[in-house]
Amino acid sequence: MGFLVPWALAGTVAVGLPVWLHLLRKHKTTPLPFASLMFFERRTQSSIRHRRLQHLLLLALRAAVIALLALAFARPFLQSRLAALAGGPKLIVLAIDNSFSMRDDDRLARAKREAAEVASRLRDRDKLQVLAFGSQVHVMGDSAAAIGTIELTDTRSSYAELSRALRSIAQTGAQASAQAGRMPVEAHLFSDMQKSSLPANFADLRLGDSVRLIAHPVADRRAANFAVESVNAPRRVYGSGKTRVEATIAGYGTEQAKRRATLVLNGREIDSKSIDVPAGGRATAEFLPADLPFGLNRGEVRIDSADKLPDDDHFYFSVERAEARRVLFVHEGRNQRDALYFRTALEAAAESAYALDAVPVEQSANLDLHKYAFVVLSDVGSLPASFEAALRDYVRSGGSLLVALGRESALRNRVPVFDEAIVEPRYYGRDGALFQSAAWLDAGHPSIRNAQRWDDVKFYQAVRVNPGAARVAARLGDDTPLLLEKQLGEGRVLVFASTFDNISNDFPLHASFVPFIEHTANYLARQEEGPGNYVVGSYLELRQAKEQGAAVEILDPKGERALTLDEATRAQNMPLSIAGFYDVKRPNGRHELVAVNADRHESDLDVISADTLALWQNTAQGPQNATSRGETEAPKPLEFWWYILIAVLALAVAESLLGNHHLTVEGEAG
Amino acid sequence: MLQRFLDPATLASISGLDLVAKTVVDGFIAGLHRSPDYGFSQEFAEYRAYTPGDDLRHVDWNVFARSERVYLKRYRGETNTQLLILLDASASMSYGSHAVNKLDYARFLAASLCYLAHAQRDAAGLIVFDEDVQNYVAPSARQGQLFRLLHAIEKAQPGTRTDFAKPFVHFLDFTRRRGLVVVISDYYERPETIVKTIEPLRFRGNEVILFHVLDPQEIEPKFREPVLLTDMETSGTLEVSPEYARGEYRHRIDAHIQALRDQAKGAGLDYFLMDTGRPLDEGLREYLGVRQGRM
Repeated sequence: MGFLVPWALAGTVAVGLPVWLHLLRKHKTTPLPFASLMFFERRTQSSIRHRRLQHLLLLALRAAVIALLALAFARPFLQSRLAALAGGPKLIVLAIDNSFSMRDDDRLARAKREAAEVASRLRDRDKLQVLAFGSQVHVMGDSAAAIGTIELTDTRSSYAELSRALRSIAQTGAQASAQAGRMPVEAHLFSDMQKSSLPANFADLRLGDSVRLIAHPVADRRAANFAVESVNAPRRVYGSGKTRVEATIAGYGTEQAKRRATLVLNGREIDSKSIDVPAGGRATAEFLPADLPFGLNRGEVRIDSADKLPDDDHFYFSVERAEARRVLFVHEGRNQRDALYFRTALEAAAESAYALDAVPVEQSANLDLHKYAFVVLSDVGSLPASFEAALRDYVRSGGSLLVALGRESALRNRVPVFDEAIVEPRYYGRDGALFQSAAWLDAGHPSIRNAQRWDDVKFYQAVRVNPGAARVAARLGDDTPLLLEKQLGEGRVLVFASTFDNISNDFPLHASFVPFIEHTANYLARQEEGPGNYVVGSYLELRQAKEQGAAVEILDPKGERALTLDEATRAQNMPLSIAGFYDVKRPNGRHELVAVNADRHESDLDVISADTLALWQNTAQGPQNATSRGETEAPKPLEFWWYILIAVLALAVAESLLGNHHLTVEGEAG
Repeated sequence: MLQRFLDPATLASISGLDLVAKTVVDGFIAGLHRSPDYGFSQEFAEYRAYTPGDDLRHVDWNVFARSERVYLKRYRGETNTQLLILLDASASMSYGSHAVNKLDYARFLAASLCYLAHAQRDAAGLIVFDEDVQNYVAPSARQGQLFRLLHAIEKAQPGTRTDFAKPFVHFLDFTRRRGLVVVISDYYERPETIVKTIEPLRFRGNEVILFHVLDPQEIEPKFREPVLLTDMETSGTLEVSPEYARGEYRHRIDAHIQALRDQAKGAGLDYFLMDTGRPLDEGLREYLGVRQGRM
């Protein structure tokens, strides 16, 4: 509360006037001589006291009128937002951080205690909303009992999640406002306020005008913590290939220490090493396991940390040892050059990951396609109808097909399986230009991403295909699509508008040919999909087609089915909510082991300083506290002097009535 | 017009008490002459044969010269009328809410009665008392009696408190002749006590008139606000509200007046309430009425 005209308060001195009139003046009454008091009695005093009481009431009314008048002229005001918060009903949002770092000490218990304390101060007219946020925001309920149901997760409360939590608070406030008029929101944020969660730009966290943010940090110091920050291991090892596992051990706020790192494979300790971790730094431990079994292997690197956050002292990873995957290469019988170049490139790049089965097109009718990682149709003319049908089914169920177009295939009207029309073959020697080069490459396409040096490649012949609904990943100088991709069912079809021999182009002779073949093979065989390791809270992609397909079977780290039957046939992705190994059997029959770890950003337990926190809090509270220019705008004052004037008017009426009553009495006496 | 001269406020502006008395009585009598209801002969003389022992001063020598018989002149007043005025000069009599206080009013009344008695050749006497006898002028019709009386009346000053019992013992000694006794007081005493004290005067064949002198403010007090009152006799103080003065007090003073009137009547005493705000003629009329009855 404040006053716009504070000097007007000096008018309250005038309260002394009625006091003087009523009290001081009264005491100056001189005794009046009277002939005899024979007929007067002492009991008349009570009547006088009654009158004095009436006079005191009159005095109080007059003093109140003068004091309130002075107060009204001083023009008192309240801060509108505070007044709104203090007065009417408000929505109390309790947002509790249940991220991974809250496992340290009893941070979550403390947060829940403090939240319960805030909830206990709730007034009847207030509403409550309890949120839990880690990597996601969950609405827990609208009663204080919901606080007790919040449990720890291995997820992370990063900047993104914090802002998401604040946005959720703002949305909740907006919904509440829509339901109950303009209801102000008081958001209480209970978190360990990690520095790693600190946003780069505070303005991103700005909340609405009616939202007041109160931060409750539950950690007041930085705790030392060791963690296995990352593990670098190949996802697959083919044949008798060697495996190399490299683990990074990090110390956050720690002194220099010696830690023992242990490699565990399928629950068995394989190797152990002692490493020196510098103060607040990182060290690397390298393991070379000799006998990695075939199949899916559950790997783990552990350290002997004695800190209060043991859940980041191990890191899960999965390694698959498998035989080289077979690739069907279908070509015209008389052309052997393309198979030679393709095989050579494949073997040079992929470390025996693929074994190429080159088959003439006339022998392709009865092949079982499902044993192949992908199929290549290299400039084939006519295909056996059964083979084309089988190929179509293979692609729809998740298989991949690479089609190279050349002189033979240009005789057809359309690209097999790809189902787009062939417009014309382009022979550049006849068209005026001696050759064409790749004028435009889509750097985001997996086949081209790491093989962008196609500048010197000369294309003498290409087949123009109507792209239709296909994605064009590369074009030649005359705008002829060079690389096209189309999704078909669960599978994908890639069309290369030239050949893999060095007749239609000189691509096989260039260094960029090998990485192109390698990445294309991995892309088609789905060897590079997804990250090596997942963090808790991320999503696992299950299928690309929206239509219902074959079921996906997933067992979570607890050994329970993670999806219902309906979800198994429809869900396109699934959240990974627990650290450990997820056993995934995809619709195409592939079996995967997905390793999920707690987010290591949470391992740094350094907390935001109080000053920064205050700045952040002020920013988040809305534009009235922090503007983009960094100036502070005064909140709009709520003046209520006219309420006081109404009160003065009422008191004046009461004073008039009471005073009139006295005058009437005295008039009768006179 | 003549009433104006009887108005207490007008009389207060006249300096000499004798002049006051003259103004009152002359005005009063002039008024009477116009009134057929009140027949009045100023003096009545008769002749009586001289008998040895009679005062030779009263022999009418003119009749003796004409007829050589000795007759005495007789005046009615000299035979059976004597006026004794008992004037209360207690402290409470000095109260007044306007120009004339009760004692002044009582003085005017007493002086007027004395003047009237003197004009009718009545013997007049005066006793001034409060709780004791302050002054005494023996009743007489002799030359210079009026001035003695007026002087004594003028000298009367407010004394202490009223006590009827003590001075009235002496009054009985002073009233050897029968006549009229006028008691002028505010009677701040219980009616029983007053009547009981004054009643013996009646037993001796006196006609007793009680003039109850009260200020208008005493009869009907009008206070605008609570006041602190001081008793003029006892100096005690009391805070009084207008409501009480307007209600309870008036009820009590009325009851007191009525009780005094009733008890006085019961004892054969004449009672007359004199409001100091009203003219004096009512008092004089009362006196003459009683005196007429004694003729």
